[in-house]
Amino acid sequence: MNASTAALLAGLVLLFPLLGSALCGLLGPVLGRRFVNLAGTLSIGAAFAVTLVIFAQVLGAASGHQSITATLWNWLDLGPGNLNVSVDVTVDQLSVLMLLVITGVGLLIHVYSVGYMEHDPGVARFFSYMNFFIFSMALLVLAANLVILISGWAAVALSSYLLIGFWYERESAVLASRKAMITQVIGDVALVIAAFLIFVNLTKVFPTCSPDVVCGLPAYFTQHLYTLSLPQIFANASSLGAGSPLITLICILLAVGAFAKSAQFPLHTWLPDAMEGPTPVSALIHAATMVTAGVYLIARFHALFDLAPIASGMVACVGMGTAVMAGFIALSQVDIKRVIAYSTMSQIGLMIFAVGIGAYAAGMYQFLLHAFFKALLFLAAGNVIHAVHDEQDIREMGGLDSRMRVTAWCFLVGSLALAGFLFAGMFSKEDLLGFGLINGPGAPALYIVGIVVNILTGLYAFRLYGTAFRGEPRSEAARNAHESKAVMLWPVVILAGLSALAGWILQWPVAFGPHLIDAFLNPVFTSPAGSHIAKEPGLGLGVIGFVIGLTCSLIGIAIALRIWVRRDLDPSRALARPGLRVLPRLSFNKLYFDELYDSLLVRPTRALARGLRRAGDPVMDSWIKGISGVATDFSSAFRSVQTGLIRDYASYMVLFVVVFTVAVMIAAGMAK
Amino acid sequence: MPSQAMFPWLLLTASFLFTLGALGVLIRRNPLVVFMCIELMLNAVNLALVGYSSYLNSEEGQVFAFMVIVVAAAEVVVGLGLLTRVFSIGRELDVDDLDEMKQ
Repeated sequence: MNASTAALLAGLVLLFPLLGSALCGLLGPVLGRRFVNLAGTLSIGAAFAVTLVIFAQVLGAASGHQSITATLWNWLDLGPGNLNVSVDVTVDQLSVLMLLVITGVGLLIHVYSVGYMEHDPGVARFFSYMNFFIFSMALLVLAANLVILISGWAAVALSSYLLIGFWYERESAVLASRKAMITQVIGDVALVIAAFLIFVNLTKVFPTCSPDVVCGLPAYFTQHLYTLSLPQIFANASSLGAGSPLITLICILLAVGAFAKSAQFPLHTWLPDAMEGPTPVSALIHAATMVTAGVYLIARFHALFDLAPIASGMVACVGMGTAVMAGFIALSQVDIKRVIAYSTMSQIGLMIFAVGIGAYAAGMYQFLLHAFFKALLFLAAGNVIHAVHDEQDIREMGGLDSRMRVTAWCFLVGSLALAGFLFAGMFSKEDLLGFGLINGPGAPALYIVGIVVNILTGLYAFRLYGTAFRGEPRSEAARNAHESKAVMLWPVVILAGLSALAGWILQWPVAFGPHLIDAFLNPVFTSPAGSHIAKEPGLGLGVIGFVIGLTCSLIGIAIALRIWVRRDLDPSRALARPGLRVLPRLSFNKLYFDELYDSLLVRPTRALARGLRRAGDPVMDSWIKGISGVATDFSSAFRSVQTGLIRDYASYMVLFVVVFTVAVMIAAGMAK
Repeated sequence: MPSQAMFPWLLLTASFLFTLGALGVLIRRNPLVVFMCIELMLNAVNLALVGYSSYLNSEEGQVFAFMVIVVAAAEVVVGLGLLTRVFSIGRELDVDDLDEMKQ
């Protein structure tokens, strides 16, 4: 593959969804539902087909030539030594893996949406937004320029905002979309500041000494690059100084951007609320792709993070902390989508942990498998919600396994994959936790926390499965539930197949050794600094970690099946019982983060605004009235000239022509 | 008569006609007469343009005179159209009476 092929293929991947979005949005309302369904899904299908071609090209390329950066066009050129932005795309193993998930899982979810949005009047708007999301996400992962990356980064936030607030008649949806947008913007600001710092501080790294290269150049010879092109940034990253405060600051800012996008502590509160959007949106944007953009960002910027061990350590700690926190909150939520949302947060916490300790390939492996089983869980949950007439409270479900046999089996597969037994999660989670045994700050302290996450995952996954699907139906709607249509079932079944098999295939043929994703991605993650890349745990340690992790998952599953499913399902009833019950109360109220932010940020801001309005309004009003008063007085002085009589106007004209002519003549006479 | 010698008289005639037209615009109250006076001013300018053209031996003045004629024609079309409208709604044709543009 050469640069022009790469540019063409990447351009097509970007073009198809954008075209689909425009067609659905502009022509959809005119041409109707059938057209929208076709255009919306075919565009993603085409993008997926092109992605497969790119994937084949990358696989077929000789090693060392798999990463290609191509320029689509020059967007902004302010001359040398100044800001130059060209629309560059990078086609390499990392972006192809992301693209495969974005367009592949995206295609399945689009097909599913055809059934899910069957009766919604806004279907054209829906597919337009969804296609636009795929476009922005593809732009984000293909970008080889920081400006383009940030554009994609902001565009996915926009489409997320539009889709969370898709049912804009609902106040809760509008509030949730606003909350998501505000949190995203905090991350955007951090990312943009990081871009500024890189732009201003990056200097050229001269090659190390060799007989034909002059080396040991004096300090005044340092050459500022003023570039935002990612390959240049990565190649010259070491000029920022390994471990220096500057690169630590840049990496922390990048990480804050990643945390906002990936719903990590302390910017995590928007994700559960984002479940107000339609379920396919939750599956595509708030589980499989967009929220993993933070993981992608850190993996993409590994050349910088490798040089900033403090920032990486912080990332690892935040990731693991979020994983535990979200798992703990998920234990007592009663909204089926919110439980899955918190589990998403927890699983992404593990990915963030993995990229924080330098196990980038392991993090991306978890991303890949997580996309399968989390999209599966959400789509199956969507089937359930449809079947019980938009009820999302699991206390009102139960006994669905005999009524929705296929969905229930698929959900079981997804839960097992999530909990890490037999299916997908078993491979990726144990793999990345295994790295935690010998890597990361204070290893294996975070590994032990990871084990707790394993137990928690098993607990909430099977509490959810047991409560929603087993036992007796607890409402009329659940009693009358029936299986969904084929168009909503097939994507779920395919995802269940992927969740069940992908791990086994990718692990083949070496059980505890490096998996295929590792071998595929590692060329991307070799960096000149290199020191930070996680060390593989040896075979013995790997087996021990695997066994411990699996045991903990099983413990969690077993406890969930024994206690919760047989006894009390309703956390609010459990809370009503006498006793202090600190932990259940904390979990049920999501650790009071919303209340904390409300009293720390929202209320003071509102009070300040109110105070300023009371104090400032009279002052500002008097200024504005003063300015307008001057203008009024001035113009009323001249108003009497306007008599409305043509002869008056004609006289003014003649008068001024005469005055002007005389003045010109006098001036000409004086000049002589 | 050689045109060089005629030139001052020509300019004098043109300025006389122009002044006549301007005074007519300022003094007369009938819009039709005002129009004719405007035409008079325009033609006075045309005369000056053509005179200069001949005096300076250049075609530009003559070309410009054609432009003025075109503008004058367009102006008459618009103006007469307006006048017939004013007349058809039953208003007296008096420029002093048409002062609604005030304020």
